[in-house]
Amino acid sequence: EVEGAPGAPLDVKCQDANKDYVIVTWKQPAVDGGSSILGYFVDRQTQEQISLMYPHTAINSSCIFLTNRPNSVCEVGTTHWSQCNDTPIKFARFPVTGLVEGRSYTFRVRAVNKSGMSRPSRVSEVVAAMDPADRARMRGTSAPWTGQIIVTEEEPAEGVVPGKPKELEVTEATKNYVVLSWKPPGERGHEGIMYYVEKCVSGTDSWQRVNTEIPVKSPRFALFDLAEGKAYSFRVRCCNSAGVGEPSEATEATTVGDKLDIPSAPGR
Amino acid sequence: VKKFAVSEGKHAKFRCFVTGKPKPEIIWKKDGAPLEAGRRHLLFEDREGYYTLKVMYCKHQDTGLYVCAASNALGHTLSSVYLTVKAPAVRFR
Repeated sequence: EVEGAPGAPLDVKCQDANKDYVIVTWKQPAVDGGSSILGYFVDRQTQEQISLMYPHTAINSSCIFLTNRPNSVCEVGTTHWSQCNDTPIKFARFPVTGLVEGRSYTFRVRAVNKSGMSRPSRVSEVVAAMDPADRARMRGTSAPWTGQIIVTEEEPAEGVVPGKPKELEVTEATKNYVVLSWKPPGERGHEGIMYYVEKCVSGTDSWQRVNTEIPVKSPRFALFDLAEGKAYSFRVRCCNSAGVGEPSEATEATTVGDKLDIPSAPGR
Repeated sequence: VKKFAVSEGKHAKFRCFVTGKPKPEIIWKKDGAPLEAGRRHLLFEDREGYYTLKVMYCKHQDTGLYVCAASNALGHTLSSVYLTVKAPAVRFR
């Protein structure tokens, strides 16, 4: 802040921007500091196109890409200001030449009187050195950018455990064997269903799996190793690769013997 | 090209973030051929705005070079990754 220097120039604008020049205009400062303004200096700053590691950055809408350079995002660079004119300009208007086509620039202006230099004006908007038709066509556009592809392995969704078998009944009973039959459940999941058969001696509450090794595929099963004279209840569970389902309703107690009273299945 | 491996039978999810204005057209390719959405190939934009390709229940023949190609009026670009589908780990018997 020099004593007696003028105030900063106001309202710096760019006009008629083209491939290699821009006309910069401004308004004289509100205060001249007590002596008349001798002229102005115009400074320019080149906007850097910097590469960013991450694309999640807001892209400056005044940015224009002429080349398809992935990763490039316009940002106000940290480049220093360079003075465009060596001697002070009298009028509040100056054609800046020698610009590089496709680059973006900002401008500021300083006023000078016999006491010294003003503070710089506010910075102009960003302007790109390019043909006006191209600028109109490309306003606010940018070439595509694609980030690194991230690959992840996902577990296929867990399968659905099947529901309960239905309509389990004892269809045959002798002292040597008992035959059970049932119907598959409503919800089956995507794949084939298999079955585990369980037995329980009446009066106890301990269920034992009969086919411990391999589940059966058909909805019927014959049990051979039953103790004569004992009464048994039976029930069946479905299974698939997702797991083992809930057991069916248990059958009525069936006494193993020659004279068998086979109960009718529920619901009949 | 970066490489990734997934086990046979699992899904492989490819995510790619894309910028550009106007909004770029995206094509996923495998070994140079465009991938169509289908039973084993899901194509969508996820909630975070990533373009996503999901290859379901990977098979050995899904091994190859996957490309996410983006284009608009100003140009085109692509990202690529190589996927290897490994034989599944032997189950404990």
